[in-house]
Amino acid sequence: MSKPIQLHLLRPGQRAVITKVNGNGALRRRFVEMGIVKGETILIERHAPLGDPIEYFIKGYHLALRKEEAANIEVTLHGESHG
Amino acid sequence: MTNMTITTSPLFQLDYGGKIEREIAKLIAAFDELGFDTARYPKRWLALKLLEADEDILQRVSEMPNGDRVIARARQGANHLKDMLGDDVDLLTADRRYGYINGVVRQSFHRPLMDRIALTDRIDDIVTHKWLGLPVFFAVMYVVFRLVIDVSSPFLDWTDAVINGPIARLFRFILDLVTAPAWIHSLVIDGIVAGVGGVLVFVPGLLILYFFLALLEDSGYMSRAAFVMDRFMRVVGLHGKSFIPMILGFGCAVPAIYATRTIPSRRDRVLTALLVPLMSCSARLPVYVVFGLAFFGARAGTVIWAMYALGIVVAMLAGMVFTRTILKPDVTSAFVLELPPYRQPALKSVLIHMWENTREFVRKAGTTILLASIVMWTLLSLPWGVSNPRDSYFGRVSGALSPLFAPLGFGNWETGGALVSGFMAKEIVVSTLSQVYVGGEEKPIEEPTTFGKELTVIGRGFVEAAVGSGKILLSILPGVNLVDEEAAGEDTALSLALREHFTPLSAVALLVFVLLYVPCVATLGAIKHEFGRSWAATSAVYQTVVAWLAAFLVYQGGRLLGLG
Repeated sequence: MSKPIQLHLLRPGQRAVITKVNGNGALRRRFVEMGIVKGETILIERHAPLGDPIEYFIKGYHLALRKEEAANIEVTLHGESHG
Repeated sequence: MTNMTITTSPLFQLDYGGKIEREIAKLIAAFDELGFDTARYPKRWLALKLLEADEDILQRVSEMPNGDRVIARARQGANHLKDMLGDDVDLLTADRRYGYINGVVRQSFHRPLMDRIALTDRIDDIVTHKWLGLPVFFAVMYVVFRLVIDVSSPFLDWTDAVINGPIARLFRFILDLVTAPAWIHSLVIDGIVAGVGGVLVFVPGLLILYFFLALLEDSGYMSRAAFVMDRFMRVVGLHGKSFIPMILGFGCAVPAIYATRTIPSRRDRVLTALLVPLMSCSARLPVYVVFGLAFFGARAGTVIWAMYALGIVVAMLAGMVFTRTILKPDVTSAFVLELPPYRQPALKSVLIHMWENTREFVRKAGTTILLASIVMWTLLSLPWGVSNPRDSYFGRVSGALSPLFAPLGFGNWETGGALVSGFMAKEIVVSTLSQVYVGGEEKPIEEPTTFGKELTVIGRGFVEAAVGSGKILLSILPGVNLVDEEAAGEDTALSLALREHFTPLSAVALLVFVLLYVPCVATLGAIKHEFGRSWAATSAVYQTVVAWLAAFLVYQGGRLLGLG
């Protein structure tokens, strides 16, 4: 099992499992509403043309987060995936 | 009805697991024990929300009798659960809910909509591509901008013509019939009909704007645009979705302010609305053109371009200042944005969207514009019987204000009056100056006309407008040009007069002032409608102060450099 890492540091194509959701009350609640919860698998899709925000694939839908917000989410690497 | 209780259906109740269920049961028992009347809320739901520490519910309960004791109990329970299970209750319950949902989905749902998802991925590979994403975005914006501004303009002219032609004539006819006194005549025609006209000229543009905004939103592209532009807009403290209102501001600030509705957080909406009026709208262009040609001839283009650029630069600076002072980013500005699969917008929903938003503009901002128009009429016509506008209350107010403009290089009564009337709409600055310096246009003698003839004229005008916008629509395609180049009529009489009263330096100072000073009454009406009186006042005050300072710097700075 690899060490926890902040979500925004991963590269497109990498797949990870969420281990912890930090952040203040309102932001964390927003995350939970969007399905960002412990144990969920998340795939890093792509960076926006200017590098930020980043698009993710989680729970069968696409979600964009700024790096600043994604830094609140801790994950462990689950492997690479292309396709 | 007020004591109606909602009972949860016994058919389904999610089991949150022994430990959480025990705390729920304990809290429900505590409601009765502490003499707390749960009133309109289902008990189980309320207990759950209290354990989850839902801010809205905590607030409501704390205002109810014995609420604070209930909250203290709930906090105990929540802490107990956190000690045992290692997480906040809201995360634990969310886990349970998602777990349940996953189970249901796995049992009932098989490889859905794969075609649409595959298509969405393929479109996104292009529109959010590293290199193509921005060019695609700018191309889409260019097309929408052209459509909204150009396609609506023939209909705008038609609306204007119908109101000032047949409608005004109809009212005049009725007023003559009942032999109304002259002042009622003037109030109705110059005050009310002109005011209603001032509201309705926005309608064609708004209808078309809302149509395209609904298309972008419903198709799913709007989220991609926000995704692509967010980093850029954040420099100024804005949200990715602020870009569309800013672009629309180059056409007209009124629809642009209403377009801020697509931005999720109120703080971002307010900041966008404060910056939108700094984009040079199409009403300011005639002012730039007339002065540019009068003083700079062949180099007029550079002056006009500089005005557009100055507006953008001031907006960026203002955005940075607001972000650090009265509009600090808050939690609601967080960028958590779903990128939904692309879908075909439903025509009905697009049309409803377009109709409802436009109707709201007419009802709310319309009242402000109409009121301002009547106030303006009153100031211009009192004391009753004035023949020279200079002697009216309006003239006296303008005269009193003009010393304020002296340090900016244009302290005469005429310019003061033009700027004051420019508050109604900025293009009026030019027509007022032309009226004062060159003399008003002769009104054409109206031919007697019949009701039937009027209807034909209205109908023919509409068809011509439709054909006109059809031609413009086609000319957006590269290589097709069906639109006549507008003859650049040299207004020599006005140019000469302007050169007598302005120097090139004071002309530039005036242009800077016109660009930046108080947004027109329609824009302020829209801001007031969307964000309330105090934000409209903020907008008016900060822009006027910035305009005065900028024009002062240009004029006095220029004089120091020996340009005056």
